[in-house]
Parts: sequence; structure tokens; C-alpha cells
Amino acid sequence: MDFLYTYIVLAEIYVLLGLSTNLLVGIVGIFSVSQAAVFGVGAYIVAFLLMHTPVPFIAAIPIAALLCIGLNILVTLPSLRVSGDYFVVTSFGIQLLATAVFTNWTGGTGGANGLPGVPAPIILGHEFIEPMEFMALTSIGMGLGCLGFWLIMRAPFGALLRAIREDELAVAALGKSVLRAKVGAAALAGAFAGSAGGLYATFLSFVDPSSFDLDASIFLLTMVVVGGARTLAGSVLGPFVLLALPQILALIDIPTSIAAAARQLIYGLLLIVFMLFRPQGLLGEKL
Amino acid sequence: MSAYLQVTGLNKNFGGLQALRDCSFGIAQGRITCLVGPNGAGKTTIFNAITGFLRPDTGHVEFQGASLDGKTPQQIVRHGIARTFQNLRLFADLTARANVLAGMQDHVGEEPLTAIFRPFHTARALTARRQVALAVLDHVGLADRADALVRNLSYGEQKLLCIARILATGAELLLLDEPTSGLSGAALSDVMALLRRLQAEGKTLLVVEHNTRVVQQIADDVLFLHQGHLMAQGSPQEIIASPELAEIYFGGAI
Repeated sequence: MDFLYTYIVLAEIYVLLGLSTNLLVGIVGIFSVSQAAVFGVGAYIVAFLLMHTPVPFIAAIPIAALLCIGLNILVTLPSLRVSGDYFVVTSFGIQLLATAVFTNWTGGTGGANGLPGVPAPIILGHEFIEPMEFMALTSIGMGLGCLGFWLIMRAPFGALLRAIREDELAVAALGKSVLRAKVGAAALAGAFAGSAGGLYATFLSFVDPSSFDLDASIFLLTMVVVGGARTLAGSVLGPFVLLALPQILALIDIPTSIAAAARQLIYGLLLIVFMLFRPQGLLGEKL
Repeated sequence: MSAYLQVTGLNKNFGGLQALRDCSFGIAQGRITCLVGPNGAGKTTIFNAITGFLRPDTGHVEFQGASLDGKTPQQIVRHGIARTFQNLRLFADLTARANVLAGMQDHVGEEPLTAIFRPFHTARALTARRQVALAVLDHVGLADRADALVRNLSYGEQKLLCIARILATGAELLLLDEPTSGLSGAALSDVMALLRRLQAEGKTLLVVEHNTRVVQQIADDVLFLHQGHLMAQGSPQEIIASPELAEIYFGGAI
């Protein structure tokens, strides 16, 4: 049964992360390919706090969320000057920069070897080690994320973000600050990604750069594309579908080295097929 | 007497092309002023300069005695000036009502913290706002199209929606960039009737207009722009009667 719970826990973490990506890419139209980097910073911060300071899990997650809010605002701001395709290139650079830091800053991140032995969360004296128990934490995290996303989307803020995706100039002509709205969206996406990172680090008790590289960012985009852009249902469905794939591959008796490559191949194919034939994803709107 | 909107000595150079040259004029409150002139005369550039989308090289814009120099488009809307665009720039994937809501100022829940932490307050305020938006749509004759997506509206309806959207900002001075272009028949008379109605309600209108018949019917004052400079100012009859201006406007074809 742990097999199933592990799948659910990871999928729930990725839902939180997918919401972050969907908010920026799907709703505001800031085509970021560096959300995995923010996710990674959240993971490393929580790992560091739990391993080297007396800060408890319950405080470490908000700290990571806050720092990732700041970070995400910073990496999203170039979208005010460079829009559309050009921002993808900027964001690509940010992702490569982050991977370089994760890999080479051996003192802080453990470099390519990563940080093993991240302690499990302890809340009110209870240690969350078993996947089934951990599922409670990720379910709460995902639930809060979904609630936040839903509230945003039905509020005037959500309408403003959609309007910005369609026509920034028209939004400015109506007396609205595009800057403030983008900063707000980036902050929210940063909080989601940072918290997701913290949950990820404590669940796996191990962090290394490969979980937060460009592949991971593209994996996130694939989740949004397959699940469906701009909707809550799509953001939830995408991670559950995509994370089920490796499990299905695992049922087929092929060597693990081939399975890993096959997975990348399938993700790539999915991305292409969906963009060509079903740009609205399974439960979303056209990207 | 200082004008309601006063533009003084605007110059704008686009890499050698003098889009505005020492352009000055004033418009009076409560009137419909039509801005006419041949293509490339600088009419839209004037709009961009007044609404903060373009910083003139030199010159000043004053509205009700307050300087608008260096202000952002957002700040200028706050002053009570709003503009439409020649190419509409509506939010095509949103409904007509959502477009009008986007024009309304000071929404509760238009930033993330209120939206998330005061959801009931946000929802109540939005319900009230949706009614106001419907009233604005009703005002331009689009109440029955409130929940239609913009891309499903006819061109004439989209033109009316552009005006509804800037009315929602609460602006007193409306800058309309070719509100009747591409329209004919009933759609054209709808827009013209709406402009007169807005004037009767106390709005001031500055309208870029190509159709001389429309100018004659709606304009109180006409500004004739040529090569970025104000050539003439007067009543529609005076402007249209001038052979010199007709020569410029129609290129001597008549």
C-alpha cells in the first residue's frame, strides 16, 4: 500500500507546484520555465533549516514560502520588460543559473551529491514518516493551495490576471497597474512552489539538483499542458496522470535504465501531441 | 479662460519622422470635439501623448488646471481621462460584462490578499459590482449581451462595448479613437446616438473621426490636424467649407 500512498503524496506535492506554474503560465501568460528552480530553493531552505537549526517544520515551511515569494517576484520581474517568447529565454537562463548553483555550491547544497538525511516533519511531537501519515500533510498543503487558487480565480484579481494575459496595454489604459498584479501573481506562485519544495524535501528526506533542473521545469509544463491550463481541475488532474506513467512503466518488466529514458520520451511526446491536438489539455482551456 | 483640456507645444520625433510638431489646442468642457486630418496627421499620437502611453519630447498637457506631464496611463485614468483604441483591444476571451468590470476602479479583491483572506467580503462586493456593470452595459444598449464572449459579439457591439468599458472607469473626458469606423446603418446611428447621450449627461468627448457626415452631425468643435500640427480649429461648417483643408484632406481629388 505504501506504493500507492507514495504516489499520492508526490502527486499532491506536484499539484501544489502545478498550481504555481498554471497561475503564471496559464493565467497571467508569463511563460516561465524556471518554476522548478523556485521549487528547489524551497526544498533546500527547509532541508537546511531542519538539519542545521532548531527551527521546527511548522515554521520552516512558511519561511521557505516567504523567501520563495521574494525570489519568484525577482525572477518574474523581467517579464515586465521582455514579454512572450523573449521571457522564455530569460527564464531559461534563470533555470540554468539555479541548476549551476545547486550543483556547485557544495557547502550549502551538498553539490551533485545532494543533502541526505533531511529529518521528517515533527508536529506536536508526532513524527510523520510513513507515506500514509505524510499524506495528511500533503493533502492539507494541496487543499490550501487549491482553495487559494479557487478564491483568486473567482475574485476580481483573477479577472485582472486573465485580462493581462490578453492585453497588457488595454489593462493599463483602464487605470490598472500591470506591475502590481504581476507581482501579486508571482508572490502567490512563489509561496506555492516554496511550500511544495519543503514538503518534497522532508518526504524524500533527500534533496539533489536533479529534481530541480530544466527537465523538472519542463515536466511541470507538461503537467499543466496535459491536465489543462487555467483551471483548478486541470491543475489537479495533470500531476496525477503524469506521475502514474512511471508506475505503469514499472509494471512492465523492462530494465530501469531504459525505463528512465522511456519516461522522458513519453513526456516529450505527450507535450507535442497535446499542444498539436488538444491544446486545452484534459480539463482546461486553450493555452 | 483656461480650457478643460489644454495641450501646449507638443513635439514628438520618431527617429526623423516628426509625428507632432508644436501642436497646441484646448477643448471645452461638455462638448464633442472631433479631431480630423489625413492619415498620419498624428491623431492617435495625440491620444497616446494625452493618456500617458507616449512621452512627448517637449510640451505639456493640462487637465482641469492640473499638469499631466510624466504621468502614467494608470494615473491619468485616475484624473478622469480614459481612451479607446482604434483596434479595440477588448479582452476577447472574456464576457462583455467582464470587460466592463475590468474598467471599474477600486475593486474589492483585486489584489491577492483580500481575494484569499476576505473571500465573503470579496464575493459580496463583486455581486454588487456585477449589477453596476450590467447597468453600464444597459446604458450602451448591450444589457442582453452581458454574458456573451466578446469574440461572439458583432463588430458594432464590440465598438459599443469599448465605450462601455471606459465609461466604467468613471472618466469625465472620453477619448474615442474612430468609434464609428467600419460601421454603417443601424450600428452607426447607435454609436452616434450614444455619443450625443453621453454629452447630454455631461461627459466631454474628444473623437477621432474620418467620416465628414458624422463630424457634421455630432461635432461642436473641430480640430484639423496636418503633419502633426494644428492647422485649423472651428465649427464643423467652417472646417468643411474651407477649400484649403478639403484639398489637404482629400488630396485634391475633389
